[in-house]
Amino acid sequence: LRSPQKTFPIQQKSATVTGAMTPGMPIFSPMMPYGTGLTPQPQQQQQQQQQQQQTPQLYHSQTVTTTTALPGNTPMYTTPLTPMTPITPATPASESSGIVPQLQNIVSTVNLGCKLDLKTIALRARNAEYNPKRFAAVIMRIREPRTTALIFSSGKMVCTGAKSEEQSRLAARKYARVVQKLGFPAKFLDFKIQNMVGSCDVKFPIRLEGLVLTHQQFSSYEPELFPGLIYRMIKPRIVLLIFVSGKVVLTGAKVRAEIYEAFENIYPILKGFRKTT
Amino acid sequence: MIECSRGSVGDALPKVQCPNHPDALLVEDYRAGDMICPECGLVVGDRVIDVGSEWRTFSNEKATKDPSRVGDAQNPLLNGGDLTTMISKGTGAASFDEFGNSKYQNRRTMSSSDRAMLNAFKEISTMADRINLPRNIIDRTNNLFKQVYEQKSLKGRSNDAIASACLYIACRQEGVPRTFKEICAVSRISKKEIGRCFKLILKALETSVDLITTGDFMSRFCSNLGLPKQVQMAATYIARKAVELDLVPGRSPISVAAAAIYMASQASAEKKTQKEIGDIAGVADVTIRQSYRLIYPRAADLFPPDFKFDTPVDKLPQL
Repeated sequence: LRSPQKTFPIQQKSATVTGAMTPGMPIFSPMMPYGTGLTPQPQQQQQQQQQQQQTPQLYHSQTVTTTTALPGNTPMYTTPLTPMTPITPATPASESSGIVPQLQNIVSTVNLGCKLDLKTIALRARNAEYNPKRFAAVIMRIREPRTTALIFSSGKMVCTGAKSEEQSRLAARKYARVVQKLGFPAKFLDFKIQNMVGSCDVKFPIRLEGLVLTHQQFSSYEPELFPGLIYRMIKPRIVLLIFVSGKVVLTGAKVRAEIYEAFENIYPILKGFRKTT
Repeated sequence: MIECSRGSVGDALPKVQCPNHPDALLVEDYRAGDMICPECGLVVGDRVIDVGSEWRTFSNEKATKDPSRVGDAQNPLLNGGDLTTMISKGTGAASFDEFGNSKYQNRRTMSSSDRAMLNAFKEISTMADRINLPRNIIDRTNNLFKQVYEQKSLKGRSNDAIASACLYIACRQEGVPRTFKEICAVSRISKKEIGRCFKLILKALETSVDLITTGDFMSRFCSNLGLPKQVQMAATYIARKAVELDLVPGRSPISVAAAAIYMASQASAEKKTQKEIGDIAGVADVTIRQSYRLIYPRAADLFPPDFKFDTPVDKLPQL
């Protein structure tokens, strides 16, 4: 399960040394910008294979979200998967799916704290469109991170299109900077992620008719209306779109962990409805 | 004359039962106005008021004088059983006051609370009449609408949209589903809105409906196209086989049914074009083409064994 890319090569060298970190191991390696807080764990639990099966999953998600495209980007805060989220022990009966949903879209809101004149923003800013007859906000786009923002005259802003929480916050800050440079006293109040969308592939076709029969209080499958099955999970409160091909879209999450938890919940159910032909 | 009372009249009516035989269906003797238990002969209800209409009126009779003095038959199931009095316009000279206006000008609103519901029932009846739906589906639709209306959870939605969605659900529940497009054709509401109301109603009433299958639509589509029974049976078999062999994963059952009808009709003497089938089924002809391409490779396996081919399998059109 542990591919070489996932594990940190430095650790493998010191795999024989149990206990404390060797002095020769660089802690602040560019390869693990987030993992420093958690590096002691896999070393201590090298004997317990089961625990290790859990941790690569978390590491993988962290390394995936590293914004390697922006080498100069230092995180303002660590991702939510730092020590405050406990690592659940693997139950012997079930094994983790080994598939991690990828985040596709993050929607966040922030309050710039001052009234804005949309006309001046639209006229002076680059990549801004404003059509008050159609919609009462300025639609601004930036290329890096590729996002779109809706800026309202009350000073509130919606930022969509980012692929990670960090990128969303960074993009919102960039938009706030643009507005600030135009002369408004913009602040950065109450940044909140409102919605996160993730997708993944279970790599096998699924019998949606079977799934809707057994889970009919959660599922809605109407081929006339939509080709996918809409599964509304109660805990965590996530909506999953499940398709015949095996692709799954998860949405409605406020934190990343909810998406992962929802997928871990649905995966054994989907395995039960695998198409056998 | 003895008239048997219908056992499943509805939950709104108070049930009279024989104290000794609660399960026995009471027999109504309306000559004397009694309800009699058939098991022991006990007269359970006495002087029962007949709530049917007073006179039977037929459309071909001269309708100048309607002898009915009690109005329409009471519909207790759906109306909340109101007992209001209405004063109709008078006929003699005494009904006019000094200026020539009629006294008792307007009929007082009979049931403002149920006015919207009655309107909806009328709308449901009109819609159902357009596609010739039987009385049982209309009754079921009315019942569903009443339940939804009383729940008030969908109060903001247009009543016509809710009525259309109830009609769709009733058809599904009776085992003769109509496609959303067919309901759209008789309603002024868009398919999107009907779909939304459909999901909301299922949630509000906490019911579910069975999944649609290709066979549900075969008889209707084929008879609309004028295809003989043999072709219809062949198309049903083809569609079922195609779904069993999983040749068309993720395709709507309507599209698969349309493609099966196309294949069956092209193999028989009654050939129908994709456009004609698309018109009847409400699918685009490119959709039929796509589904047909998926089932064409296994065409030989899909036909029923006793099918008489007018055009052999290898000569079927390849699109």
